[in-house]
Amino acid sequence: MTTISLNIKHKLGILFVFVALVFPSELLAQRMGHRSSRGGSRSMSSSRSMSSRPTKSVSPSRSINGGHKTANRSTKKATTRPSTSRNKTTTRPSTSRNKTTTNRPNTNNVKNRATTNNTKNRKTSNIKNKKTNNIGNNNRVGNNTRVGNNNVNINVNNSRNTRVNVSSRSYNRAPYRYGGRGYYCHRPYYYHPYRPFYWGSYYHPWGYFTATLVTTAIIVAIVSDNDDDKEEEYHYDNGTYYLKTPEGFVAVQAPVGAQVESIPKEAEKVEVNETNNYYYGGAFYEKNSDGYIVVPATAGTIVPNLPEGGEEVKIGEQTYVQFGETYYQPIQVDGKNMYEIVEVKEEK
Amino acid sequence: MKKNLLLLPFLLLSFFGFTQDVKEIDSTAVFLLDKMGEVIGDLESVSFEANNSADELDANKNIIKHYSASVLSFSGSNKLRIRTEGTKGKKGMFYDGSHLSYYNFDENNYITLEAPESTLEMIDKMHLDYNFNFPAADFFYPSFTDDMLEQFSTIKYLGSEFINGEECHRIMATNDEINVQLWLSNGTYLLPKRFVIIYKNKSNLQYESTFSNWIINPNIPNSTFDFLPPPHAKLISILKKS
Repeated sequence: MTTISLNIKHKLGILFVFVALVFPSELLAQRMGHRSSRGGSRSMSSSRSMSSRPTKSVSPSRSINGGHKTANRSTKKATTRPSTSRNKTTTRPSTSRNKTTTNRPNTNNVKNRATTNNTKNRKTSNIKNKKTNNIGNNNRVGNNTRVGNNNVNINVNNSRNTRVNVSSRSYNRAPYRYGGRGYYCHRPYYYHPYRPFYWGSYYHPWGYFTATLVTTAIIVAIVSDNDDDKEEEYHYDNGTYYLKTPEGFVAVQAPVGAQVESIPKEAEKVEVNETNNYYYGGAFYEKNSDGYIVVPATAGTIVPNLPEGGEEVKIGEQTYVQFGETYYQPIQVDGKNMYEIVEVKEEK
Repeated sequence: MKKNLLLLPFLLLSFFGFTQDVKEIDSTAVFLLDKMGEVIGDLESVSFEANNSADELDANKNIIKHYSASVLSFSGSNKLRIRTEGTKGKKGMFYDGSHLSYYNFDENNYITLEAPESTLEMIDKMHLDYNFNFPAADFFYPSFTDDMLEQFSTIKYLGSEFINGEECHRIMATNDEINVQLWLSNGTYLLPKRFVIIYKNKSNLQYESTFSNWIINPNIPNSTFDFLPPPHAKLISILKKS
């Protein structure tokens, strides 16, 4: 019986083979990460990366996709393919390129005519970002020139007054999922256009500016742990809250924690977590011994109307009305158009 | 000897790991995919119809099928129009080389976004940023065959079959996650006739699309791709995916 003895050279040889065979697989994996992305419906690709998009696609070719490309074909696969196919592959790009050269002037002319005039003037949608939309939305209040004759640029960050309390009821419906978030509602989505509601002659929509207030307006006490609330001076008059600014007073979202003696008679009862709250001008009130206190919106609450200041936002395939951090889903109850406050949960 | 044997598992592991990357690629299938890519790459404009069905899971993990029919028109490298009608409503997408407008017929609202200068870049960006789906977009990437070769471990030619009276080549591509089957029309132009995607790791959900009424290099007026908001249509905001 012979014994096999391996010296240090043999051992290094085996290690070399090990390293050589392991590294290529890693290189392949890295290459996978740079593969072309897909925008197709139910895409065949699981990886989506813009980095590897062929630069040729931006060429002003008349071809709908800049011509078929086989630039990434690896030699490993090429060996298994018929030689005729490979020959065709190499000649193809030049054919395509020749064709595009002859047609290019036309394309450019059309494009310049079509885009240079339109690009500048066309009104585009407001793009909202998950991280920044909260404050951005509320800036709209200050820029609202539809109300009154003011052009005062007042930026009011009311986002803390639009936070939503979670619902105590469990959801029987699957949430609508988009961008790593679940949008939970008890009732199905039923779209109807957002038309701001005016509660009465005393009601003023958010963004309404006035230099002076009527004598009936009172300074509001804020029951809050938030120091910012205490620094700001809110005034209340018949269901409308005004924030004092150097220029005057601007109507804002009711500050959570505001305690008032009375609310307008137009306020409606709404059911929140099996108790009753009062709803007026987009604000929710809870009755207490001193009168009424403004409370945060609670997910699952159904309201019949929404005030001015909201924004219709397309989220995936659905359209919600957004006020700061509160999303309202359009629904229908007994044939009547209403809104349900959405519970938004991060889902990863 | 025992010490030396300790190295053997490494050696075997190396071979075992490497053999997993070996692909089973059928040259006929690749030839056909290339040929189809050439036909599509040579198109200056095209319009066709796509009938789609897509599976989704409901809250109780039951499979719900959604159907839709789309009419698509491409022109040059920077014009696209898609009109889709189905169980999820009626929508239109208009891309004119600088902007993409997405109009919801049922809600009478739309979004308009600045878009990249080529159709494929636009498709990529809009899918990435807003999850927009463009039916049949996979076939219009110039590197379609390379992408297939890169992403699938096996690509097989399964022979010819008739679909709606049309002779088609059938190709199947698989990897760990999905199984894709393509039928390419063996008519004058080698164009896609049908494709099915089966998601192996997601309850075998399927997406299927059947193409018809291909019109090669039609003369489509540029105004077709301009979006003119209908009366009372409202421009709304949009939330980015991330």
